[in-house]
Amino acid sequence: MTSGALLPFFALMSSLLASVVIFALPERMHRLRVLINLGAAGVKVLLVGVMIWGISEGQQYELAFDMVPGVQFVLRADALSMLFAGLSAVLWLLTTIYAVGYLEHSPNRSRFFGFFSLCVASTTGVALSGNLFTFFLFYEMLTLSTYPLVVHRGTEKALKAGRNYIIYTLTGGAVLLLAIAWLHGLVGDLSFREGGHFADVDAALHGPLTIIFILLIAGLGVKAALFPLHGWLPQAMVAPAPVSALLHAVAVVKAGAFGIVRVVFEVYGLEAANAMGLLFGLALVAAFTIIYGSVRALYQVDLKKRLAFSTISQVSYIVLGLCLLGPVGAAGGLVHLVHQGIMKITLFFCAGNYAETLGVHRIDELDGAGQRMPGTSLAFTLGAFGMIGAPPLAGFITKWTMGTGALAAGMDWVLLVLVTSSMLNAAYFLPILHRLWFAGQHEPWPHERRWGRLETSGWLLWPPVVTAVLMVVAGLFAAMPFSPLAWVQLIVAREVAL
Amino acid sequence: MAFYRYSLPLLPLPALFLALLTEPGWTLQLPWLLLGGLWGMDELRQTFLLLTALLWTVAGVFATGYLKDRHLGRFWVFWVLTLAGNLGLTVAFDVASFYSFFALMTFAGYGLVVHEGTNEANRAGRVYLAMAVVGEMAILAGLLMAFSAAGSLLLAELPAAVASSDRRWLIMLLLLTGFGVKAGLPLLHFWLPLAHPVAPTPASAVLSGAMIKAGLLGWLVTLPIGQVSLPVWANLLVVLGAVGSLGGAVLGVRQMRPKAVLAYSSISQMGLMTLMVAGALASQAHSGAILAVLGLYVLHHGLAKGSLFLSTAMSLPSGRWQRMLMWLLIAMPGLALAGLPFTSGAMAKLAMKDVLAPSGLDFALAEYLPVLMTAGAIATMLLVWRFLWAFGARAHTGGNARGLWLGWSLATASSLLVFWWLPLPSGLPAKAWVSAMLDQAWALVWPVIVATILAGLVWRINRRGK
Repeated sequence: MTSGALLPFFALMSSLLASVVIFALPERMHRLRVLINLGAAGVKVLLVGVMIWGISEGQQYELAFDMVPGVQFVLRADALSMLFAGLSAVLWLLTTIYAVGYLEHSPNRSRFFGFFSLCVASTTGVALSGNLFTFFLFYEMLTLSTYPLVVHRGTEKALKAGRNYIIYTLTGGAVLLLAIAWLHGLVGDLSFREGGHFADVDAALHGPLTIIFILLIAGLGVKAALFPLHGWLPQAMVAPAPVSALLHAVAVVKAGAFGIVRVVFEVYGLEAANAMGLLFGLALVAAFTIIYGSVRALYQVDLKKRLAFSTISQVSYIVLGLCLLGPVGAAGGLVHLVHQGIMKITLFFCAGNYAETLGVHRIDELDGAGQRMPGTSLAFTLGAFGMIGAPPLAGFITKWTMGTGALAAGMDWVLLVLVTSSMLNAAYFLPILHRLWFAGQHEPWPHERRWGRLETSGWLLWPPVVTAVLMVVAGLFAAMPFSPLAWVQLIVAREVAL
Repeated sequence: MAFYRYSLPLLPLPALFLALLTEPGWTLQLPWLLLGGLWGMDELRQTFLLLTALLWTVAGVFATGYLKDRHLGRFWVFWVLTLAGNLGLTVAFDVASFYSFFALMTFAGYGLVVHEGTNEANRAGRVYLAMAVVGEMAILAGLLMAFSAAGSLLLAELPAAVASSDRRWLIMLLLLTGFGVKAGLPLLHFWLPLAHPVAPTPASAVLSGAMIKAGLLGWLVTLPIGQVSLPVWANLLVVLGAVGSLGGAVLGVRQMRPKAVLAYSSISQMGLMTLMVAGALASQAHSGAILAVLGLYVLHHGLAKGSLFLSTAMSLPSGRWQRMLMWLLIAMPGLALAGLPFTSGAMAKLAMKDVLAPSGLDFALAEYLPVLMTAGAIATMLLVWRFLWAFGARAHTGGNARGLWLGWSLATASSLLVFWWLPLPSGLPAKAWVSAMLDQAWALVWPVIVATILAGLVWRINRRGK
């Protein structure tokens, strides 16, 4: 085993060990816990950074051993896994900072941060899995470790949402397991491979493979919140803001979407999946989810609920991008994995700031909040415009790339979906921005707290400001090396040899 | 506060120097920007940049005297962003920068429209934003298709690619619609008479003088002008231009408030410019000459309209002679719009008549162009009378802040005097110059006289009615 093979292992361990240590720490050791949390998050960013550099230079990092004969445990860092691992590492660091500020003086912090780190370990595992079996292990671990976070507050509502969440995701997991087992029986152990395995598969297998594909997507679609499997997500918004931010804007939903990417690209192969006629149906489901989520978002009066439906809509961009049958469309979908993550986490951080600082949860209570909290509101504004797809922000790069890919594939109707979705995004985000900046405050804030000089606690203010800056940078400098777009183009060059 | 106030007129100055002092032809490579950026200035853009920078400068001077301290910082931010968008789109050579600046101008412009915070402003803002979003989306779809056809992000490559694309009609429809929202094309104009008047006066001036032209520039740099002859599209645009120029006047003379009259006048003027776009689309051979005249017209209208909008906030002096002089100076840019000899408008109108002569154009509605232009001149003069009447009915007597005097004088001087020394587009027809104005004085003056008689009759009838 070389040092290269150990890097993915260490990346996984950084959060896993942090989790174990934090569980063991007594509740009152606040400083030490913060130190461990931030230290581990920093180490992880560093490790992922090293791997990203190595992979761009052509290195391979792989760790594999047999669990039982015929079933391998594989951790591998490739360009695709770094897309997700890099995103979650950076956002974990920021969310940890945010969570420290958010949960100040609240009970059960030891439990919270323990499971929080465990979640991130699972997400890293999902990103680094080298085959379906390993992927499944971490995917389920993610389910189990997020449940305690959803119900963290222990209220009736939280417990109900948690029950709902666990029913949805465990059922999805069972379906996924069934599909993986069937596939294993049919063709043996399948590691993820660029280009997939079924380029010249026996036509007799097309039938079962089609059913397995549907089962796989159904199992993964629960977390990715594809319609009609999205029901758990808006309810899970009762979780504390950092959980909503990282887990429901990034880790959980992206684990589902990332799984779909792996299945389509590296198990079936884009061309084979298309030849079996599997992608068109998936494209329709994704397109419907995009519109459906946006329309539902329009009717939400609770800020976090509106963001949740917006997430449902936006995650399906990733899936739709894959179905565009070409390198450009695929790049558009993949790059949204990162872009959506940065934009949505910004919006959730801001929603949390309004709730913590002003006690504001409903959109109609936001009147005049821009003057009271300019930094947060500026970040929110950028996030909202990013979601709408306004240039030069990250969301525009997604829409432009996907639109180009759709036209190249002759799927002009996708353009209509993108445009409609953008208009709906504008319809549910722009009125909020008007309230923030142009409406006057007409009643006192429901529950205001003051933190000296800044508009809110610095722990809460800086994370959204940083992610907002990242979002501008990802858009404005999309043509630079190591921008999300450039990295995705590297992946696509390897994955899609159409 | 002083910083916010007094930096307003300074911000557009670099762009103004760029337009005045550099020769067209320079480019700036920005490969790291967006999807790869290229900015530059050609002859067409020089004219647009000149107008944009000049108008924003004088409006900025005016704003120093006009703005109150309340929400000044917020106004400053949106002013700066809108200005950056408007200037940037003018010098953008690549699709991504162009669209980014266009969107920046559109969305930041909302802040100028709703600045006053009245119910009326908020309502106008909603309509503005809704239509702007639809427009942005049409532009996005159109640019995406054009880009996919061209395989290049350079705007300069789009027209040829659009011309030979099998999606040509769809692309043209999307771009005409998308930019048409900004340019106030009939049926896409609803936001304009609501939004232009409710904004603070210096913002109204740049909205109606400069930003409205961004839609026109969008057409000129993306549509397949000079690539193929498109008589069907030319006919369509002539109809839209006619409806805009005459319909704008019909609705405009019914307005009570001077700024609303001016907003409809802008729709009417954009209708006349649409006629030229029609001519350019119809005729491959004449498109170059038509674009030059269009540039001239843009410059003339932008400066005159800017000055007229600024004058709506001026109070009249009490002395008799000063009062008459002021009335004259307020009326002159209006008379320029109507094409009175020895004004910028006379030059623009003569040049326009020359390049839109039916003999040079080959499409069904081309023969109606001279009639339409004459009707347009009468309509314009009627609007000017209406504007003066509406202004007089509401005018205050009293002093004006120093910034107001300075900004308004600069705007009026730009329209009436400085115009003649500005770098005008080359390739204008020879007829446009001063001697031609003498020869054609009668042709220029009689629509003004007809409109004046009409206005007088209507005024008398109204007085009897009371």
